[in-house]
Amino acid sequence: MSAYLVRRLVHLVPTFLGATFLAFFVLQIAPGDFLTQWALDPKIRPETIERMRHNFGLDRPLLLQYLIWLKNLLHGDLGISFMYQRPVLEVVWPRIENSLILVGLSLLFLYLIGIPIGIYQALRPYTLPDYVVSFLAYFGLAIPNFFFMLILIFLLVKFKFAYGWTPFPIGGMTSQGFEQLPPLRQWVDILWHAILPAFVVVTADLSGLTRVMRAQVMEVLGQDYIRTARSKGLAERVVLYKHALRNAVIPIIANIGGLLPGLISGAGLVEVVANWPGITPLLLDALNQQDLYVNVGIIALSSLLLIVGNILGDLLLALVDPRIRYG
Amino acid sequence: MRKAVRLVALVSVFFAAGALAQTFVWPAKWTTAKPGEAKPGGTLVDYTISDFRTMNPFITAEADSIPDLMTMNGLGLAMRDPTTGEWIPYMATSWEVSEDQTEITFKIRKGMKWSDGEPITADDWIMTYRIHMDPDVGSNLRDTFFIGDKPVTLEKIDDYTLKFVYPKPDAEAFAIASLSPWPAHVFGPVYEEKGAEGIKGMWGLNEDPKKIVTWGPFVVEAYRPGERVIFKRNPYFGEWNKDEAGNPLPYLERYQVNIYKDLNAALAAFLTGEIDVFYPRTVEHIAQIKKAIKAGKLDATLKVNASPIASSQFVVFNWNKKSNPFKEKLFRSAKFRKAMSHLINRQAVVDVVYGGLGTPMYGSVYPVLTQWINPNAPKYPYDPKKAAQLLAELGFKKKDKDGYLVDAEGNRLEFNLSTNAGNNQREQIAKIIVDEAKKVGVKINFRPIDFNTLVGQLLSKGDDRPFDAIIIGLTGGGLDWPFGSNVIPCRANLHLWNRSGTCLDPRETLMEALYYKGRTTLDFKERVKIGYRLQEVEGDLQPIVYIAGPNYHVAWNNKLAGFHPDEIISSIWGSYELPLLYQAK
Repeated sequence: MSAYLVRRLVHLVPTFLGATFLAFFVLQIAPGDFLTQWALDPKIRPETIERMRHNFGLDRPLLLQYLIWLKNLLHGDLGISFMYQRPVLEVVWPRIENSLILVGLSLLFLYLIGIPIGIYQALRPYTLPDYVVSFLAYFGLAIPNFFFMLILIFLLVKFKFAYGWTPFPIGGMTSQGFEQLPPLRQWVDILWHAILPAFVVVTADLSGLTRVMRAQVMEVLGQDYIRTARSKGLAERVVLYKHALRNAVIPIIANIGGLLPGLISGAGLVEVVANWPGITPLLLDALNQQDLYVNVGIIALSSLLLIVGNILGDLLLALVDPRIRYG
Repeated sequence: MRKAVRLVALVSVFFAAGALAQTFVWPAKWTTAKPGEAKPGGTLVDYTISDFRTMNPFITAEADSIPDLMTMNGLGLAMRDPTTGEWIPYMATSWEVSEDQTEITFKIRKGMKWSDGEPITADDWIMTYRIHMDPDVGSNLRDTFFIGDKPVTLEKIDDYTLKFVYPKPDAEAFAIASLSPWPAHVFGPVYEEKGAEGIKGMWGLNEDPKKIVTWGPFVVEAYRPGERVIFKRNPYFGEWNKDEAGNPLPYLERYQVNIYKDLNAALAAFLTGEIDVFYPRTVEHIAQIKKAIKAGKLDATLKVNASPIASSQFVVFNWNKKSNPFKEKLFRSAKFRKAMSHLINRQAVVDVVYGGLGTPMYGSVYPVLTQWINPNAPKYPYDPKKAAQLLAELGFKKKDKDGYLVDAEGNRLEFNLSTNAGNNQREQIAKIIVDEAKKVGVKINFRPIDFNTLVGQLLSKGDDRPFDAIIIGLTGGGLDWPFGSNVIPCRANLHLWNRSGTCLDPRETLMEALYYKGRTTLDFKERVKIGYRLQEVEGDLQPIVYIAGPNYHVAWNNKLAGFHPDEIISSIWGSYELPLLYQAK
């Protein structure tokens, strides 16, 4: 087991180097750089732009820039954000925290809703409730998240016009006067803001999870050992939750590792539309403005988490599935 | 040998009993509030569409930055009276201009204090200037202290007297001198000890707000990344800023700016009363606000088409095409460019692209700068017949089998036009131009390309540059001298049509001479005359064919009052003076 782990960790190095180099290279072959946006500003002299380009190290050869970045990375330094003139981690981290709240909450919703629904469907396949739930789940998958969020905001504004208050806030992460609230109330306030966007994020993933869960449970329920369990007179509840479910959730657990990078890469355009100050709005700014080290930094962090997540997923799999052993 | 030029009567200087503060009185004509009507307290919630980047005034680069918000967009020794556009003393009480117009000596207002209670003196300006001028700091303001390649210098005469020395008389002398000060007792010790790197490390977004110091009406209270910044009233500001009734300013207790990455989110927030001000960009925004007001859901004031915005869209033709003598000759011909101007249906652009909420343009001076617009400068408005006639004079008399004009040698009148891909407005403008051109037999191949590639093409130098014609825009342009130092001179980097490094047309040479003449004329009226002449030459040369620009609209929630009177609501003056706003409901 430990030999396997060491081997996987060694594999991590070339994968990480490849991913970051590719990111660095692709971002840099796009025409222009961070300073191009000022090239057409009548107030800024071209000498100034050249001087800043030199200060940012953007006039160096590409490979050299990458090697310097790698060297700094070994010291835990992801470089400087050109937009903010601060270390990348300092800029990115508060946004990642915000995204974590949203994504974490939506994952919680996903499992709390998705797994029971999948089981429910598996127990009553090809019935009206099964079709209705499937339809709704597919509807959630089909509608783009950002658009769904826009519709909800539109409805909230209508609601506000009609009744003078809203059940959920119209975008944002905290209320006016947030700073004056006691810590517990602050958390409640954030959760209250997060519920709607988190729900929207869940709608996109729900169909996938329920379909897998439904198929898994149905398949396991058809196995010989379930028939054996039933025939020896075990209660249906025990059959279902002790024997069937443990086997049915294996692929879902194997998938958990893959969710890790998703945790920091944010909830996508929902964050923009719902005005949630997560990582996506920052990443979009950074891409637009070619803020090189913010982009590479985010890619580096998420590829690192993807690799680590995959290892974790494999280990979890070995933990829940006694048939799997790594040698 | 000095003479006092003016001491603006508007500033009433008096010494309050005990406190020695020399008061600046905010004129009642800058607001719709009646004297004595305003009450203290309340909050203004405004918004911005891009996140704040820093609280550090020396490295900030974006519009609406936190340092700008704290200093009312960088006010300093002088400010402009929005009703006249003239410079008046603000943090100074008076100034003197030397005979040769290269020195301005300011008397600093006494009794002003920083938000931490320290006095504001000449040293603060000196330190601010020094840090801005340090190339290693990378301040965006550094370039404004250069006239040509020579720097403007700043000397301290005594604690309350400052002297700006200019390499030559300059139209923007007061704009340069209006420099907003920052506290020397905060930045000075760090700068002396650690230099530029020390300064760059200060006042990041995670700085403790208690350490932020300003002279302005509001100082940072809290910042939440990507969400909002909250300012609270600076009590020391009210010691020297009063209304005409003698009340301390600002009236408001708090000032908050929310960040909305998506304009629709900002609109929703305005409609539901979460933010107090909104700047509509499209017909849909305006329609939604109107609908909400009409239905009684929103108690707000909406000012549509308050003024044009100081921004422009234009077509520029490339004069440097050595590899294609036919096109080079064509693009260098003023007659051809006039014909192209006649082909641009500006009204259609305003109607289609800006939904009727725009203003046609014929020259480089933005229509909002009314005192600068020469009404007699030549214009070549939409007129396809005249265009066809001018093209015939250039030799394009016959049409080929595809219906396009050709000259005697059989060269077809055809060129490429590009703009930055993804800019819907510019792409729509291009389509209107292509359609109109086709009607008279000019073939234009429109191909949008990536913005940065486009910029690369525009800024390329030499006698063979890689484009035919480009639709692009520039923004900015000063009230003091609305012609671009980077645009008009023939060697300038934004002399977009000709980057050969020399003037090719005698009118270019003349424009350059007039530019420098105006730039070095301190007298406003004299300068306007030169500006008029410059616009006439420009109109005749048509180096750039201007199209149109959008208009400025604003809406505010009526729970706030004290906004500008209608005459001074514009993209230049905005819709309010922050210290004069108050909560009415």
